[in-house]
Amino acid sequence: MKKILAVLLVAALLLSFAACSSKKTEETTKAEETTAAAESDLAYIQGKGEMVIGITIFEPMDYYDDNKELTGFEADFAKAVCEKLGVKAKFQEISWEAKETELSGKSIDCIWNGLTITPERQETMSISSPYMNNKQVIVTKKENVQSFAKPGALDGKTVVAEKESAGEEIVADEQYADFFGKATYVAVQDMKSALMEVKAGTADAAVIDYVTYLGTLGVNSDYKDLAFVDKSFADEQYGVAFRQGSDVTAKVNEIIEQFLTDGTLKQIATKYNLVQQLVVK
Amino acid sequence: MDFSTITSDLLSGFLENLKLFGLTLAFSLPLGLLLSFCSMSKIPPIRWLAKTFVWIIRGTPLMLQLFIVFFVPGIVFDAPLKTRFTAALIAFVINYSAYFSEIYRGGIESIPVGQHEAGMVLGMTRKQIFFKVVLMQVVKKIIPPMSNEIITLVKDTSLARVIAVAEIIMVADRFTARGMIWPLFYTGVFFLLFNGILTLLFGAIEKKLDYYKV
Repeated sequence: MKKILAVLLVAALLLSFAACSSKKTEETTKAEETTAAAESDLAYIQGKGEMVIGITIFEPMDYYDDNKELTGFEADFAKAVCEKLGVKAKFQEISWEAKETELSGKSIDCIWNGLTITPERQETMSISSPYMNNKQVIVTKKENVQSFAKPGALDGKTVVAEKESAGEEIVADEQYADFFGKATYVAVQDMKSALMEVKAGTADAAVIDYVTYLGTLGVNSDYKDLAFVDKSFADEQYGVAFRQGSDVTAKVNEIIEQFLTDGTLKQIATKYNLVQQLVVK
Repeated sequence: MDFSTITSDLLSGFLENLKLFGLTLAFSLPLGLLLSFCSMSKIPPIRWLAKTFVWIIRGTPLMLQLFIVFFVPGIVFDAPLKTRFTAALIAFVINYSAYFSEIYRGGIESIPVGQHEAGMVLGMTRKQIFFKVVLMQVVKKIIPPMSNEIITLVKDTSLARVIAVAEIIMVADRFTARGMIWPLFYTGVFFLLFNGILTLLFGAIEKKLDYYKV
């Protein structure tokens, strides 16, 4: 029913687009190009000579350095992999909540931005083998760090996490019910908002990625009065997500394997102080 | 990351907002007029079509329309749009034409029928009546609701970030990701200043047209 409604609405909107004829011809040629390579995602990407990589800006994964150049662990890693694939790496900043839509709409070819591998995501996307370990941590005001490490300390407190994130799963997990069972949980837009809630005191604690948390502690950070509780929850791993059924994943897995064994990834990770997080082969 | 670098980064983001604002106005002001004629048409199918269009566009969130314009070509027709800005512009033009058309319609229909009749008695054509009698009165009448809508448009442009058009709030978000919160709130100053200028401008226009009392 939803689908029919969506198609109807779309049809109505498209009718109105008919006026923009120049746009239309542009699209038609594109459609022809893509149908030719529909069988193989790899052929499609190599055919256009570039892989469009969906990212968001956060240190130390993807960020702009002082010369306004995109840099970071994921940026260097993706460039190295693209070189092996014989294509140009084109980075496209996206809105994180629209990442699956961007991918299936082909406005990007992969999501390469510290994406946590989860069973739900594996159902909708084709995710590479893991290359980096990550954990979820509780971030709170410095004065609470000691007390929040004990079960029961969060009873009646407000806990925030990014909606649909690994942090949210931790909060809902039976396994950690003694920690979060009696806390008030609020799902927020993203990890940035989660930290802002803690900073503003509208929430007592946030459950977020350790790597993301590290990235917010730059020179001028407003979060110097926050710290993470020394108890890590469910270790998880980062992977690169491609379109469902894409044959690029297998190819990229080979390259990741090679980079993990020949030290290429270690070299990149050293540059961004992330060696400890790297998957060991 | 000092104040001036952040200001210039945010300013380059705000230029994107202004570009979207200016182009949306340039296209949707005439399109809206055209649409208002359609919704007042004597031919029922055209009228129904125009009214349904306005109902759909005003009845759904602009954010959803941005998603549809940008993602549907790729998902349904396997022909992804390459430029996010164009997609945002198309969505904004469609959305604002619908709102503008209703403002125009209200303005045009508020002109007493007696003036049309008087024009006809004097042997003027419909075209002459519209351009020589009705239009200037309409312009004067719709300035206040138009300025309202135009100021809303300035702020709405920041919605374009949902399809990753690097407008000012998206740029500010990059700083938030590094742990700096104040640039996000600082973006408000840019909107305030620009809307301040617009407010003065509309005030001046209203005053200029004030000689013409209806």
